[in-house]
Amino acid sequence: MTPIDRHLIFSLNWQLLLLVAALFTVGVFNLYSASGVRVEEGVALSPYYQKQVIWGLAGLFCMVVVMLPDYRYLKSLAWPLMCLTLILLALVPVMGRSVYGAKRWLDLGAMNFQPSELAKISVLLLASRMLANDSCKLGWLGLFSVLAACMLPAAMIVVQPDLGSGLNILLLLGGLILYRGLTGGVFKTLILAVPAVMPLAWRFLKPYQKQRILTFLNPENDPLGSGYHIIQSQIAVGSGKVWGKGFLEGSQSQLRFLPEKHTDFAVAVFSEEWGFIGVVVLLSLFAFFLLRIYVSARDAKDRFGSFLCAGVFFYFFWQITINIGMVIGLMPVVGIPLPFISYGGSATIVNFCLIGLVQSVSMRRYVFKKS
Amino acid sequence: MPAQFDRDGPPAPRGGLILLQVLILGLFCLFIARFWYLQILRGDNFAELARSNQIRETSISSPRGVIWDRNGVLLAVNEPSFALGLVREDCPDITATLNQIAEWTGLETSTLQEIYLRGKKRVKTFEPLILINDLSFETLAKIESNLVFWPGLEIIVRHKRFYPRGELLAHVLGYVAEANEEELEKDPTLALGDAVGKQGMEYTLENRLRGQKGRKQIQVDALGRELEEQVIIEPKSGNNVTLSIDLGLQEHCAQQLEGQAGAVVVLDPDTGQVLAMVSQPSYDNNLFVLGLSANKWQELRDDPMHPIQNRVSQSVYPPGSVFKLLMTTVGFATGMLKYTDSTVCGGSYKMGNHEFHCWKKGGHGHIDLRGALVNSCDVFFYQLGERLGVDRINAVATQCGLGVATGVDLPHERPGIVPSTAWKKKRYGVAWTRGETLNTAIGQGYVQLSPLQVARFVGSLVNGGRILKPLLDANDPALEQGRLPINDKDREFIVSAMVATVDAGTAHKIWRPDARIGGKTGTAQVVKLINADERKKTVDMPYKYRDHSWLASFGQKDGKSYVVVCMVEHGGHAGEAAAPVVKAVYDYLFGPVRGQAAAKPQPSGDTAAPAASD
Repeated sequence: MTPIDRHLIFSLNWQLLLLVAALFTVGVFNLYSASGVRVEEGVALSPYYQKQVIWGLAGLFCMVVVMLPDYRYLKSLAWPLMCLTLILLALVPVMGRSVYGAKRWLDLGAMNFQPSELAKISVLLLASRMLANDSCKLGWLGLFSVLAACMLPAAMIVVQPDLGSGLNILLLLGGLILYRGLTGGVFKTLILAVPAVMPLAWRFLKPYQKQRILTFLNPENDPLGSGYHIIQSQIAVGSGKVWGKGFLEGSQSQLRFLPEKHTDFAVAVFSEEWGFIGVVVLLSLFAFFLLRIYVSARDAKDRFGSFLCAGVFFYFFWQITINIGMVIGLMPVVGIPLPFISYGGSATIVNFCLIGLVQSVSMRRYVFKKS
Repeated sequence: MPAQFDRDGPPAPRGGLILLQVLILGLFCLFIARFWYLQILRGDNFAELARSNQIRETSISSPRGVIWDRNGVLLAVNEPSFALGLVREDCPDITATLNQIAEWTGLETSTLQEIYLRGKKRVKTFEPLILINDLSFETLAKIESNLVFWPGLEIIVRHKRFYPRGELLAHVLGYVAEANEEELEKDPTLALGDAVGKQGMEYTLENRLRGQKGRKQIQVDALGRELEEQVIIEPKSGNNVTLSIDLGLQEHCAQQLEGQAGAVVVLDPDTGQVLAMVSQPSYDNNLFVLGLSANKWQELRDDPMHPIQNRVSQSVYPPGSVFKLLMTTVGFATGMLKYTDSTVCGGSYKMGNHEFHCWKKGGHGHIDLRGALVNSCDVFFYQLGERLGVDRINAVATQCGLGVATGVDLPHERPGIVPSTAWKKKRYGVAWTRGETLNTAIGQGYVQLSPLQVARFVGSLVNGGRILKPLLDANDPALEQGRLPINDKDREFIVSAMVATVDAGTAHKIWRPDARIGGKTGTAQVVKLINADERKKTVDMPYKYRDHSWLASFGQKDGKSYVVVCMVEHGGHAGEAAAPVVKAVYDYLFGPVRGQAAAKPQPSGDTAAPAASD
């Protein structure tokens, strides 16, 4: 184990850390508002924001734990971790807990555990390891070996059904493959194949998933049913106008017109209360946040590190794209939370662990090869 | 030691790094553009939508006007009724909830499922879907104490129409029931579940009785929870209505007809106001208010005694000898009948090779007009009918309001028939025959009148010839619809003949010493009798072939004047069934006769036999 020396502390990606802290703080304040509900007299608060602070502290601890050991050890952990993930995913249909008709949780006595969260990390590690072994563009063989290794957990998660997490993993994987780069022939073939695969994929979707996509295309079809979320969310965002309605003043959220306002639609609460000005600030924070991860990927000492950072980049990038895209009506409704802003225990822990991973890579960028 | 840096080639792929930069820039620009569009370009639009989101406008129900009788007794009132509603959005497990309701109420779960599925199509998810109407207090108590454990269930208080006297006034008041699709479509102010008048005065006076709904604005959250409310338009309750009906008299009349099928109507001849309108058998109009089950409705509709029919205005019958009052009027109106006209009744009248019988087998002997009315001689009126011809009868009858709807404020009135040659041609496509004129002359054959028409006609005979619309609203002014086409002297002649009929003729049973009472009996044959010899005694005939028994009368005492008409279906001859009813009505109106032993004029020998009093 590499000892912690002062160089490493100095090499920490402090900007990234500050941006994460800022985003998380915005998230907690927003949750404070989102968990308020106007009742007959005054405002009632549910304690989401308190729990989120506790999750955040736990996440911070995990982040430190993850960034201390040298990330290069993880390379050898990639395969065993994937095996463990597959075993746990296989256990879910057998002994998992069923919530809202989907089996996603394993009951670990004291707490519930979602193997899909673990799968995100193991796919990230394994794909990084496999893609980092060479520097030339990816040919057919390389592509298929990566897909073969990483598609299975994604498929198992999609059938749980947990479309959001499955999609997240697939997009992360896709992002990493593009980051590595494909040979011209493979790239062109894939571009042409996409339209052919789309109708096939459509047939595998569950009826409610199809409904969501159809509703996204025309929300006015069913204004009180599945189109409700899309319409109410855009009303919330739009009615914030330039300056917003002010903290705790969003009528859409306080009067519960917004669904899932502390999780998937948290950013709608923010947009309603802080307006366009607040949104520009928040989007800038996210852009700089992504930029810092990009810098870590660029400056990484080796390819594995660079790929790890790129994987984390895509993990956050897609979540931000899909979640905000959904809130402002650019994407269909998919249950994907917004990092650091949406409430969620295990998501917060995973997010901080991934930041820890980036830090681990980033702070070792000046370390020279030993031996 | 696995911890090594890969040294072959640059650490980060160039293309990949460019890709990441492009993605960040693209995402930032796309989102900023979209937020710009939503918040700045269309911000005002969405702000307006957000405002209207929170404000829900709903109507406030207004109570329906109550109905009193002429003495201020309540006949139709509004009572609170408790319904059980289900708000789907708040209910986590609908099947379990329905099962629990089944357990509380003892209803079948499948029945509840059915109601639920039907309601689901019309009721929004955040509005209560009514599962059970009119909960009993016992069930209400059971549900109320458990309500907190069953989110989504709601007890809803609504107004329910209640008729304290039910059957007694069902035909006059009618009933209200939930508006159907057609009514909802016609009247935009009606909402699902609103009650509207469907029958009787509730139907006719709908516009007066129904109130004007108010409106209120409620600030709601997305679950429909109401936070604050503000009334914009106050609801206006409907107008109250006082009927001309005298509840005591109505009840008394109904008691007299108890167990029989028939009708009694009592009018004030000077105003046209209806004091009693009884149709027996009756039904409980309260059954309709909260929805009648299909079974019960079928049972009522298919009842051979037709309890739903209002026999006063919706049923028409051959009037029998009551029609002779009109025949005399036609004779005077056309100038073809004189007081002195007379004939010899030998018990039958020959036309061609067909004999038309008088009800009195042996005949009345020599008889003049007054005697023919008092003793109801058929032969005299056969001859009069021959002279007049059916078209004259039809023309004058129409002027007198017979065979013409009275226009009373009740739905589905039937106009009845006084035939004419043109009518028969049109209806049956064949020519009128002379024999049919003879049948018409004694109120048989095609003639069909409602008891209300007969009452209006008798009223016009005693009120100076004014044909008045029968009124049910005590505050309506008298409405003259026409005048009898005869002069006062001729009219008085008919009236005095009616008095004589009571003093010493076929209607003697209703005579009383302390009042001036006039009447005319009638027997309407249900089956055509070719030969009078076949006529059996009423008791020997099966019920449905028995004759209808009529008595049309008026009574005057101490300046008060009444018209009482009674018709008993299958009641046999006039005196048998209708006379005791009418007599009892006068006992109520004028009080019991003081000193029953008061001298009575002897009735003429002809009418002594009660079985043949027509």
